[in-house]
Amino acid sequence: MTTAALSPSFGGILRSEWIKLRSLRSTFWCFLIMVVITIGLGFLLAATFRSDSELPVDAQQGIWVQVATLGIGFSQLVAAVLGALVITGEFGTGMIRSTFAAVPSRFPAIAAKGLVVGVATFVVGLVSIVITAVVTAPLLPSVGIHPDLGDGAAWLAFVGGAGYLALIALLSYSIGAIIRNSAGGIATALGLILVLPTVLQIVAGVTRATWAQNLGKFLPSDAGAQMYSYPSGATTPPDVLVLEPWQGLLVLAAWVVVLFAVASVLIKRRDA
Amino acid sequence: MIEARTLTKRYGAKTAVDSVDFTVRPGMVTGFLGPNGAGKSTTMRLIVGLDRPSAGSVTVNGVPYAKLEAPLREVGVLLDAKAVHTGRTAENHLLALAATHRIPRSRVHEVIALTGLESVARKRVGGFSLGMGQRLGIAAALLGDPATLILDEPVNGLDPEGVIWVRTLARHLAGQGRTVFLSSHLMSEMAQTADHIIVLGRGKVIADAPVAEILALASGDAVRVRTPEPERLGGLLTEQQATVTSTEPGLLVVSGLAAARIGELAAGAGVVLHELTPSAATLEEAYLSLTQDEVEYHAGGEAA
Repeated sequence: MTTAALSPSFGGILRSEWIKLRSLRSTFWCFLIMVVITIGLGFLLAATFRSDSELPVDAQQGIWVQVATLGIGFSQLVAAVLGALVITGEFGTGMIRSTFAAVPSRFPAIAAKGLVVGVATFVVGLVSIVITAVVTAPLLPSVGIHPDLGDGAAWLAFVGGAGYLALIALLSYSIGAIIRNSAGGIATALGLILVLPTVLQIVAGVTRATWAQNLGKFLPSDAGAQMYSYPSGATTPPDVLVLEPWQGLLVLAAWVVVLFAVASVLIKRRDA
Repeated sequence: MIEARTLTKRYGAKTAVDSVDFTVRPGMVTGFLGPNGAGKSTTMRLIVGLDRPSAGSVTVNGVPYAKLEAPLREVGVLLDAKAVHTGRTAENHLLALAATHRIPRSRVHEVIALTGLESVARKRVGGFSLGMGQRLGIAAALLGDPATLILDEPVNGLDPEGVIWVRTLARHLAGQGRTVFLSSHLMSEMAQTADHIIVLGRGKVIADAPVAEILALASGDAVRVRTPEPERLGGLLTEQQATVTSTEPGLLVVSGLAAARIGELAAGAGVVLHELTPSAATLEEAYLSLTQDEVEYHAGGEAA
C-alpha cells in the first residue's frame, strides 16, 4: 500500500482538467472550426472589399481589424457550444460523479475546468485572429488598405477579440453548470448571445425607444463587441450609449462572474 | 472503517434511506445486499459525499468523505460503471483522475494491467461493453491504492470469469487488511464473497450479521412447486398458513407445509403440478423471505 498521502492540489486538478479537455474529440473540432471560420471569413472580406474613395488611415486600420475579427460573430457560437459541453457532457455521462469523488470540495474542480477552457479558448482565438491579420495584410494594399502592423490599438483589438471568445466560453460554461443538460445549456447560452439582442433590436426598431437600445448595450454580445472594435470616431445619436472597450470588458466580465458564482453555489449544494 | 449513524436521505416525499446505522469494518468483505430500489446505491453515494444526507451522518475512518485529505488515496469507489465520459479513452480517463492526486502514470498502467484492460485502454469508453465498463470502474477505484473500497454492484455485467476475478480480488484486498464494501442484489453472489452481510430493504437495515448467521436464517424446510396455475395454488396454500414466495413465473417456494400435504391439496383442487421438490431453503430463498415485506416492486400476483 502506498503510504505517501499526497492530497489533491490545485495544480494537479488543473492538469486533470487539461487532460480531460484535450482528450475529447469535440474540443478538437470546436477549436478547428474556430480557426477555419476566422481565417476563412477574414480572407473572404479581404478579397471582396471595395472602396471607391481613398479612406483615412483610421478607417483603413478599422477595416484591417474587421478583417481579422469578422469570424468572431460565428466562432463565438462555437466557443459557446464548447463552453457548455465541457460541463454538461460530464453531467450527461455521469463523469461528474468521478470528478466530484476525486475533488469532493467541488469548487476547485469547477474553477480549474473553467480556467482551462477559458485559457485554451483565448489562445486558440488569439492565434486564429493574429494569423488572419498577418496573412491578409499583404492582400489589402491592392484594395487601398495599408495595414500598419505596429499599431497598438489594432493589437489591443485582437487581444480583445480573443478575450471576448474566452469570456463567451465561460459565460456558456457557467450556464451549462447551472442547467446541467447539453441541449438546454447550449440553447440558453445561444439565446442570451444571439436571440436576446435581436429581440431588443426589434423592440427598439418598432418603438424607437432609446431605453431598448441602451439596454441592448449591456447584453453580453453587444458589450463584448466593444472589446474588439477599432476606435473609429463614428457618430451615434446623442441619447444612445456607447461603451468604451474597457467598459464592454467589465460588463461582459460581470455577466460571467455573476453566472459563475450562481453555478458554484448550486454545484456545491446539489446532489451529483 | 465506514460508520453510518441514523443516516437518512429523502427525495421529496420518498425516503430512500431511512435512519440507517451500520459499521463496515476493515479486514473483511462486507456485503451490502438488498433488492433493487432498497437504497444501496443511495447509501453509497452518501458515503462518498455525492449526495447530502437529509439527516444523520456517515464517516470514513472517522471523517466525512469531503473532509478527507486525499480522498482517492483513502477510498476507492465504483459507483456505477458509466461514471465515465463516453468520448474519452479509458487511459485518459484514468490519467485525468490520477492527475488530481498526483498519482504517477506508472500506477495508471498498473491498474490497467491489473484489471485486464490493456487491449482497450486506448479505445473510447463509449464502445465498451458493460463488463469492460465495470473493469474500468474498478481500475479507477484502485488508482490511489486506497484502504477502503466501495463497489456498487461490481459483478453486474461481468462474464463468469470476471465474476470470479472480482470475488478473488475482493477477498485478496480484504486479506490485506482493507475495508471492502460491496453491494449486490444477488444473495448467492454475496454468500461466496462476503464475510459479513448487511441487508437493506426499503431503506432500512433488516439484517446485519456474519454470513454464517444469515445462513442460519435459512433454516426451516421449503418446497419448490412448479405449476401452470401458480395464483390458484398459491391462494390454496396461503389458506393453510403456508408462506409462499415466487422467484420466477410458475415457480412457488413454499414453507410451512410438507411436500406431501402440498401434493394432496393440489390434487384435491385439481391443480396440475410439474414439480414438487422438498429442499432446505437456499440462500436466495432465505434472502427473499427476509426482504419480502420490504421489496418495493413485486412480481405481481398472490404468490408475491
